[in-house]
Amino acid sequence: MTDSAPLDRETTARQGPPLEPWEVFRQEKEGDPMRHGGSVMAPDAVLAVHYARELYGRRQESVRLWVVRRADVHDLSDPDLLQPPLDRSFKKPGGYVMRDKLAAARKQSGQQKPRARAT
Amino acid sequence: MTTIRSTLATAVPTALREAIDGLLLSMADDEFVIGFSDSEWTGIAPILEEDVAMSSLAQDELGHATALYELLAALRDAPGVDADAIAYDREPHEYRHARLLDHGRGDWAMTIARRYLYDTADAVRLEALAASSIAPLRELVDKIRREERYHLMHATAWLERLAERRGEPRDRLVAAMEELGPDAGTVFTPLAGEAKLVEGGALAEPMEALEARWRARITPDFVRLGLPMPPATADAINGRVIHGEPFRWLWSEFTSVRLQDPVAAW
Repeated sequence: MTDSAPLDRETTARQGPPLEPWEVFRQEKEGDPMRHGGSVMAPDAVLAVHYARELYGRRQESVRLWVVRRADVHDLSDPDLLQPPLDRSFKKPGGYVMRDKLAAARKQSGQQKPRARAT
Repeated sequence: MTTIRSTLATAVPTALREAIDGLLLSMADDEFVIGFSDSEWTGIAPILEEDVAMSSLAQDELGHATALYELLAALRDAPGVDADAIAYDREPHEYRHARLLDHGRGDWAMTIARRYLYDTADAVRLEALAASSIAPLRELVDKIRREERYHLMHATAWLERLAERRGEPRDRLVAAMEELGPDAGTVFTPLAGEAKLVEGGALAEPMEALEARWRARITPDFVRLGLPMPPATADAINGRVIHGEPFRWLWSEFTSVRLQDPVAAW
């Protein structure tokens, strides 16, 4: 038996290669969008994928994971670019009514209005 | 349970019954003991993520052990014999896991070295059962192999990282390999009635041939990483029967709840 006591977490983390955050995206079932699940700390991509699997997939809650180094994510959160102070309501489609145009097009092509999806 | 019992009763020819019993017991005990040893890292693994990963791996192994003990209970088909009874109600000398798993948890390098040696050996053993004539065993092995693939990837990733980092990580890994190496081949300890198993198509090859296959399989990793190859097994015949003090301690840990309340359900 090896007598040396296991290193505690802090000591190991200090001596090992530096850990960095990786962002994990998960898909719950085929066809679903990839959604951000959370993040893991890991020293490299291989271990990051292992840890993503254990933290976001071990209970069979995902069919696909994407693991991205946080440093590789291009961040845009500048309010001047995303939330400009001037009125931008004219860029929203609210004033444009599709209903009448669709009804006219259906009438012309002889199609029925599709029934509401049973969900 | 009735279904498994009747399926297994017809699946195992009477002449192979005893040998299959020994094979299942050795495999189940291996998974049970390594699973329990690795679960000792819960709460103290090197980083939080690894803590979750190692604990999850340990749970996988205990799951494999449960499935194998259930098959064994079905084979024995006796009143009061279920997976828990086989797993917990034995004295330490009655366990049939490989001596490789008798060295105590040790440090992280020891855990990784043991995982790598065991997972590579287990993979070769499972391959030899992938086309087994015993259908319930073959079907279970097929499921277990799909999970073990990931275990081996995890163990290899860590083996490489420890081996390639000069200084303490590599030194500890080499020390662990030197301690475990002579016992690594005990996973392939010959089984009683092994010839019958091979003849009956239950097992593809004798353990000796599987051990040679395993050594050939791991050699490239040991050469590439400059690690000491496991030497020939010492006292190979007793590879699964003599268990030392570290196992007695582990046994007292994993039987403690069962001894306090044998009929507890959870």
